[in-house]
Amino acid sequence: MIIDLRRCIGCHTCEVACKMENRVPLGVWPAWVKQIEKGSYPNVRRSFLPLLCDHCDNPSCLTACPTNATFKRKDGIVIIDPHTCIGCRYCMMVCPYAVRYVHPIQKIVQKCSFCSHRVDAGLKPACVEACATGARVFGNLLDPREEVAILRITHPVQTIKPEYGTHPNIYYIGLDKDAVSSVAKGKR
Amino acid sequence: MIEILYNVEHQKAAGIFIAIYFYLTGISAGSFILSTLAYVFGQTKFKPIGRIAVILATVVLIIAPLALLIHVGRPFRAWRLFYNINFASPISWGSFLLTFYPINCIIYGYFIFKNNAKMTKLFGIIGIPLAIAVHGYCGFILGFAKARHLWNTALMPTLFLVSAIVSGIALVIFVVYIKDRFFSQDGKVREELILDLAKLMGGFLLLDLFLVLSEVLILLAGSEGAMEAGWLLLTGKFAIPFLGIENGLGKILPAFLIFSPRLRTTNRLLWASFLVMFGIFFMRFVVVLAGEYYPLI
Repeated sequence: MIIDLRRCIGCHTCEVACKMENRVPLGVWPAWVKQIEKGSYPNVRRSFLPLLCDHCDNPSCLTACPTNATFKRKDGIVIIDPHTCIGCRYCMMVCPYAVRYVHPIQKIVQKCSFCSHRVDAGLKPACVEACATGARVFGNLLDPREEVAILRITHPVQTIKPEYGTHPNIYYIGLDKDAVSSVAKGKR
Repeated sequence: MIEILYNVEHQKAAGIFIAIYFYLTGISAGSFILSTLAYVFGQTKFKPIGRIAVILATVVLIIAPLALLIHVGRPFRAWRLFYNINFASPISWGSFLLTFYPINCIIYGYFIFKNNAKMTKLFGIIGIPLAIAVHGYCGFILGFAKARHLWNTALMPTLFLVSAIVSGIALVIFVVYIKDRFFSQDGKVREELILDLAKLMGGFLLLDLFLVLSEVLILLAGSEGAMEAGWLLLTGKFAIPFLGIENGLGKILPAFLIFSPRLRTTNRLLWASFLVMFGIFFMRFVVVLAGEYYPLI
């Protein structure tokens, strides 16, 4: 997936669409938009960072899961099998992107599944469908004719925390470094 | 100036039950290794404590996995750990170690009480690598967590093992003293034995201090997250538990009590062992809770 942050207006529609599509209980979010404000008047900027599971090529959660509940599908989507997960939360300890949560009702770990049930039916994930400005582009990054692959090649792209060697598959155009950092105000 | 307007923070992955579990396995592994000193390595002066140590090791390790079962969301699915095995995951290794180690402890303890020296030695020899593994893998659990800089260090398994031995010896000193004082016929404490044990503990305490020092110093020389974690321990919210309780009360003060001939009395050695147990308990809490103190994103 490519997220074009030049287009993102921080409307949180993706968040809501995701929660509706996947019937996510209160208090947890598989996908959300982090917002930061920086500078002081008149030189200010508000930056957005839509976050979701990166479906890494080299996912650390796959190594960690003791029951193989987390697995990678042939098309690259990383999924948690809700019937195998024992809820030990080790994957939450190893994921550098903090996208995993404990399902408050089922008491297992869940996360964004790229709406695999929709992808299997030939549809796009709910957040992509709902995005009001078309900032999210979904598709097969390996197929050079697809829009994602073209955007990936022709634009300067960045991933979150590339230094971890997980090779994330969510690419951002115009990523703000300050939005990725967990350090809040006052420290810098 | 940067201000975070909206962000989502999910639940913490490891909590107090993980810390308690690490503490209990540590005590168990430590006291098991202590009991093998007499029966495998032939240190006959430690023979009187062999039985107490092996009982402690077994009982504590039977309690320890209960903390894990409270922690996991679906404890009745624990059988999946033996069915869907992922050999890359330390928790998978642990599920087997936590099965074989208590069984071995029970067999070993049985032969100690039967006075069967040959079989005791055999199961002691089997038990030593198991005891090291059952606590070493706890260090690997944290070491494999690449998201957190405080945990993701090569020193973590060694640090866990050394603190396990320290806390195991401390518990054995404590129990030997209580048993001799209140539950034996003459109420006489074996001072020589306790002094020997305390000196052994003191040596491992100094090693533990050195490992903690090198861990923190290298964190401060690391990447941004590592420096954050290091300063959190030294000046942040965890400064008092880490510097004051874990290292001050739990390591430096007992080391003085043990190694200074003027301060040393058997009563104080009892206090030293109590402080050590208390300090290691805080060490587990500090490592587990400080590791995921800062949000990742």
